[in-house]
Amino acid sequence: MNAEIDTGIVRGACPHDCPDTCAFEYHVKGGKLVEVTGDKNHPMTQGRLCVKLKDFASHHYNPDRILTPLKRVGPKGSRQFEPITWDEALSTIRDKWNGIIAEYGGQAIMPHAYLGHQGTLNGLTSGDAFFNRLGSTVAEKTYCESGSSTAWIMTVGPSGGLDIESFVHAKYIIVWGMNMTSTNIHGWPFIVKAQEAGAKVVVIDPVRTRTAKAADWHVQINPGTDGALALGMMNVIIAEDLVDHDYVEKYTLGYEELKERAALFTPERVSGITGIPADDIITLAREYATTPPAAIREGVAIERSRGGGQAIRAITCLPALIGAWRHVGGGAMEMPIWEFPTNFDRICRPDWIRPGTRVVNELDLGAALTGELQLDPPIKSLFVYNSNPMSQAPAQAKIAKGLEREDLFTVVSELFITDTAKYADIILPSAMQGEQLDVMVTWGHLYISLNQPAISPPPDCVPNVEMFRRLAKAMAFNDDYWDRSDWEMLQDFYDWDSPALEGITLETLKETGWARINVGLPHERKPHAEGNFKTPSGKCEFKSSVTANFVVPVWRSMYEDMQPGEPIDPLPDYIAPHESRETNPELAKRFPLSIVSPKAHAFLNSQYANEAPKQKRQGEQTVFMHPDDAAARQIVTGSTVRVFNERGHFDGRAEIVDALMPGLVMANLGHWPSFTKSGTAVNSISSDAHCGMGMAGSYSDNLVQVEHVAA
Amino acid sequence: MTHVVTANCQACRFTDCVTVCPVACFHGDEERLYIDPDVCVDCSACIPACPVGAIKEEFDLSGDEEEWIQINAEKASDLPVIRSKQPPLPTADARRSELGLN
Repeated sequence: MNAEIDTGIVRGACPHDCPDTCAFEYHVKGGKLVEVTGDKNHPMTQGRLCVKLKDFASHHYNPDRILTPLKRVGPKGSRQFEPITWDEALSTIRDKWNGIIAEYGGQAIMPHAYLGHQGTLNGLTSGDAFFNRLGSTVAEKTYCESGSSTAWIMTVGPSGGLDIESFVHAKYIIVWGMNMTSTNIHGWPFIVKAQEAGAKVVVIDPVRTRTAKAADWHVQINPGTDGALALGMMNVIIAEDLVDHDYVEKYTLGYEELKERAALFTPERVSGITGIPADDIITLAREYATTPPAAIREGVAIERSRGGGQAIRAITCLPALIGAWRHVGGGAMEMPIWEFPTNFDRICRPDWIRPGTRVVNELDLGAALTGELQLDPPIKSLFVYNSNPMSQAPAQAKIAKGLEREDLFTVVSELFITDTAKYADIILPSAMQGEQLDVMVTWGHLYISLNQPAISPPPDCVPNVEMFRRLAKAMAFNDDYWDRSDWEMLQDFYDWDSPALEGITLETLKETGWARINVGLPHERKPHAEGNFKTPSGKCEFKSSVTANFVVPVWRSMYEDMQPGEPIDPLPDYIAPHESRETNPELAKRFPLSIVSPKAHAFLNSQYANEAPKQKRQGEQTVFMHPDDAAARQIVTGSTVRVFNERGHFDGRAEIVDALMPGLVMANLGHWPSFTKSGTAVNSISSDAHCGMGMAGSYSDNLVQVEHVAA
Repeated sequence: MTHVVTANCQACRFTDCVTVCPVACFHGDEERLYIDPDVCVDCSACIPACPVGAIKEEFDLSGDEEEWIQINAEKASDLPVIRSKQPPLPTADARRSELGLN
């Protein structure tokens, strides 16, 4: 679908993996995109964009953009490519894949994708039907949210939970593990408004972030110990009888067992684990339980350690324990994506997956490509789209080693030659958001939005949905799945007749751009005032009816089989990190510092980290350290330092700040390895061990050492 | 990085900026506003909101304007947050005309 206007304003929506999914207005002049602004009438966007998107128009004209298919003409990783036609690219892929399938079977091909784009047609699940039809390995896409999704669904079911807009009605707000002013900036004003109306805002974070500074109270916690804090709060709430017994009796399951578990987590013990004074734990629990409406914003960071899933479980139990769900503005928010009636089975076509097809987790990419996983058949071809594992996946060095394999046929669909794309044999050029049609998936508010193309893409750049049409044709798939237009697919990919979408159609969205789905208004919505949890029991399951680990099917092409399946405790618990001074003292002798690697403020994951204005705003790869740790190593602000462990190293500029606790280092994620001093970035030190639920990553669960290096 | 309120705010103080700021980073005295650089998130929502173009992103400042970085940081730390729109100064319209921005 091409752009229809030459000059004027076209309605759109932000393509990014961010909870805000802003409503755009594309300003077009003479067929050129001159500016992109936020829609003033959208209740979440409120006319603003963010540091990442405010110059989005110029992004479309970045001279480094890939404009034609490319083939590799030098050694792998050398960035030597030559333009080719789409016909040559498609026939090369077809011939290579047919050869691999004949010799090794389809499972020797592995797709690799995440949320580089968040559309229904072009996003997370855009290639699932194609690869299911192809018979490839099923890739489990657990970069972010998967651990939280598993834990949330075990506890309250696929509920949208508390609406971010309802936070204005809260009187006690806990922002748990989220730097909202960097990663949920359009959600933050609702919290500011509540604060102005007298709400107390508490931020729980290992780092005194910009968000923590704006709070009334910053509770500084050791990374990976959030589960212990939540259980400690329960301990106090139960011991001091601040429980809403009526709510618990009617709408929860397993209170007696939870009570027994929570009894183990006295404030003194929890203080030892979390580093938070026992008195503060008691105060936090008391205030939370006695200041209704009480709201919790659960951040994704919580899941990024071994016990992250159980931590989300414990935190998500808290509102039911005190009856917070009874109130408008009470409860918890994780992500409301589950409220949208998306037909994922129609998108992904799990019926095309051959029985017994294996699953390989994307965070195990390095292990899969280097033979560490001992896969039979081995991965002989990798198809990367919507993702940049050389920046975003753990165990960077292992992935690089895998991508260097001469016998691996790698295809990457991209906008720019990233640190992943540089290893490709074939690169396919993608369209940008201003050039394509899509309905945006949203995980931070309750509005559905249509992105309409404002300008035509460069002739050879195609949206992912069109790329998979072309690939399907090249592979001689005759299914009518790929005969539909983009518009027809969108008609099929949502249940437009569902109550949530009553009165909303693609046609109305064409006019309005966005619409609130019918799941209750912010000043009225109380989704669990009377239970109605979407769990098997219909109750908030303190004790879950699930006892084996699983990944929510949307993160794995809707495949139900071959789940990880290892037993998990049906009661919330504190699971200590894989790597910390307490749990792994031997390792800590050599690598005594914990590290966290939150998202950069000016980049969106690794997107925009190749663009000069964003690099200027973000600054170079920086290593933040506490003054005590810096002094012990003769490091001062401005020193070049090396962060390392057995997995790898990266260099950065030291910045000494007391916003960190002693023993903790911070370095932002997203810098492209090729732009850093060492040619590596923070994920060079990250472990590919998983969180105990949902196969999430453990990015905040790593020990390192830091040393001064000559600049 | 941060944004700063530059000279044009003086004698104007329109305060439209505070209505679009997502983080309440504007502080002010009787004369003008300042941005707290530790709170500003660089979203630039305030730039088009200002009727006299007083707000600029740090790296768009001319050499003469760079002094405003320090002035904003120092003043903001001592002054109260301005959260809602207030009447402009009586001199605002005249000042806007003088700046050729009517």
